[in-house]
Amino acid sequence: MVQTSQITKIQTVPIIAVVALLALFGMGYFMVGFDQGQLFSVVQGHAAYAQMNGVGYLHEMTHDMRHASGFPCH
Amino acid sequence: MKTLTFLIIVIVSGFLAGLVHSFLNIALVEPYLDNAIGIENQRLFAQGQAQDNPQFWKQFSDYRIWQKQGSIVAGVILGTATGALFGLVFAYSRNALPGQNDVQKALVLAGILWAVLYFIPFLKYPANPPTVGEPDTITFRAITYVAFVALSSLGAFGFSRIYKRLENKKFLAFLGYAIFMSIVFFVMPQNPDPIKVPLELVNGFRMISAVTVTISWITNALILGWLWKKFQPDSVVTRT
Repeated sequence: MVQTSQITKIQTVPIIAVVALLALFGMGYFMVGFDQGQLFSVVQGHAAYAQMNGVGYLHEMTHDMRHASGFPCH
Repeated sequence: MKTLTFLIIVIVSGFLAGLVHSFLNIALVEPYLDNAIGIENQRLFAQGQAQDNPQFWKQFSDYRIWQKQGSIVAGVILGTATGALFGLVFAYSRNALPGQNDVQKALVLAGILWAVLYFIPFLKYPANPPTVGEPDTITFRAITYVAFVALSSLGAFGFSRIYKRLENKKFLAFLGYAIFMSIVFFVMPQNPDPIKVPLELVNGFRMISAVTVTISWITNALILGWLWKKFQPDSVVTRT
């Protein structure tokens, strides 16, 4: 009996990969580009908006990259 | 599609591109940020909101070291995030992209996404160093920036569908996108913040930050294209 191998190209992206990558994009893009305390406010409440120097912790941590990547900042 | 292989090569390529962006940022962009923050400090001293003494500079120095370390983490997060979108779009568009191999195809797509997501929005809302942005306008500037990026993305997606349907005169899709974005460009409001720091500093910062972002997109494309070629996540071997 002769066994043959065939390579098939499957372009369809599994839905789990689509969801995972879109979630990764949305979360990372928001975290570095726009967060002012919203993410931590889920657990910390309103205090998350003024953790460091009157602004959110993530804002201060991502501050330099936020400017360098062209996102609005202050 | 080999799901795990696909996810790993997409995430690894974005992560590495982000790491490259982070270190380029430390070497090339940070001096401009330090200059701008230095101007901000002088204003604080002049307005009596801070005192120019060793205690201030010790705290300031520690804080800036922490922020620079944070910028490395942020670069990796951003690189992984944009790399995730890049990998997803690459998987869907690979067959339609021009190029002899996966690296060339990835470079073409990186060029398109760089323009749509970064450079065209940059032309309307260019990057600014610290001290330029007013805290009171941050929400307005964030909304207008996101709206511009969203319109640019939707326009590119829409005209890419038209591009596929056009058998001849495919350039009309590019022309359509250019006209659409020109309208968006003039309709969207300006950044309301005045620039109160030397223009040399602002222009130098804009130029070098654009260079580092561009290099990170190229890096992502080179790594993703190479990994795709090596591991071929879309190839499945069947034995009969």
